[in-house]
Amino acid sequence: MRFNEKELISLSRQPSEMASELTMRGPKKGDVFKKRLVKLVVNFLFYFRTDEEEPIGALLLEQCRVEREDSLTFTIIFLDEAERKYQFECDTEEQCGEWTDSIIKASYEFMRKNLIFYRTEIHKLTGKDPLEQYGISDETRFQVSNGLQLKARETSSL
Amino acid sequence: MKVHRKILTHFLSCPSPIDKDGYLYKKKERTGVFRRRWFVLKGNLLFYQDRPADRHIQGAIVLEGCRVRADDADSDFSLVFQGLRTYRFSAADRHAQQEWLACLATASHGYMSVLLRDLGLQYRAVTQSGGASSGSDPSLPSPGTLPLSPLPPPPASSSAGALRPRKSPKPWARRNAHVTPIRGPAPSSSEWPRVDFDPLTEFSKLHEVYGAEVRRARDAWLRERPEGDAWLRERPEGDAWLRERPEGDLIHL
Repeated sequence: MRFNEKELISLSRQPSEMASELTMRGPKKGDVFKKRLVKLVVNFLFYFRTDEEEPIGALLLEQCRVEREDSLTFTIIFLDEAERKYQFECDTEEQCGEWTDSIIKASYEFMRKNLIFYRTEIHKLTGKDPLEQYGISDETRFQVSNGLQLKARETSSL
Repeated sequence: MKVHRKILTHFLSCPSPIDKDGYLYKKKERTGVFRRRWFVLKGNLLFYQDRPADRHIQGAIVLEGCRVRADDADSDFSLVFQGLRTYRFSAADRHAQQEWLACLATASHGYMSVLLRDLGLQYRAVTQSGGASSGSDPSLPSPGTLPLSPLPPPPASSSAGALRPRKSPKPWARRNAHVTPIRGPAPSSSEWPRVDFDPLTEFSKLHEVYGAEVRRARDAWLRERPEGDAWLRERPEGDAWLRERPEGDLIHL
């Protein structure tokens, strides 16, 4: 499968508020913790060897769950058949909390669901559709019935 | 750079919403030949394959940092990645071309982010002014689970360096990371700039604010990186993209 690698690498160079040196461990048996510069840009998590310009890899943060292992460690679990897990160790508990929050909120699907929630609620409370003034009320992207179930869920799986 | 393809293919095949799909002709860069492909737009990713039922995905285009451009009045359009590649397409007719243009122009993560922030502000304004119904409304999150506090002022020194982790001025309330407020609004972020104009009528101003913040963050980041200058030299028009965006022109987002 081809993808626009140069453009993705360019994206990895955009400024980001979430960029830290963490230790990271991959999903395969035998993978060990290694120090990496981890950087969140839009819904991609890039990871670099420290002081290298090009990332080693990019993880799309969709269809994944974030779990807190302990005060300093979190895991990203991808919800495909293999259920691949990537573990990250932070320096402080606060940093760990910031990362888990940021990763959850970075997902496009998470944002869409929240947007639809706000739209529905504002419409309920004011009688007005907040997207009408932007002329985007009819876009498929923002429809409530677009395959989504607005029910409470127990996990953060998206 | 390794892009974990299985994550992408799983995202395509999972039941999350499809924003648009259909046949388009895509121009091969080297040969100039147009090949008909089945395209699926999901979020900020545009996938393509030979036919709808195919299991093999030929490619994915990440729609960040690009502009959408109509190339002629009838059917052709492009995705222009500033200083990098331009993808050229041909739709079946003008109607299809316009539909794809509209969809692709609003597909970026940044666009969704600004819209979400805007609606979040409106939602807070409406619920704090007493517009919410009293009693247990099952559609609103219970107070114990989410920090629904008013927007705090922006932090004094906004360092947006790419290498330093930011210390957030307000610690997050302790929450189980298993539980995402799917049914409720996203928690307020202490890093969003304060907006002191009426977001209900000033979406274009929000674009400016957002764009200004991106510029500031980018400048700060460039200052801090030793090879910052080299990066700028490689893309002299980088800043122009932000400056040239006319107000409210969604196509350029």
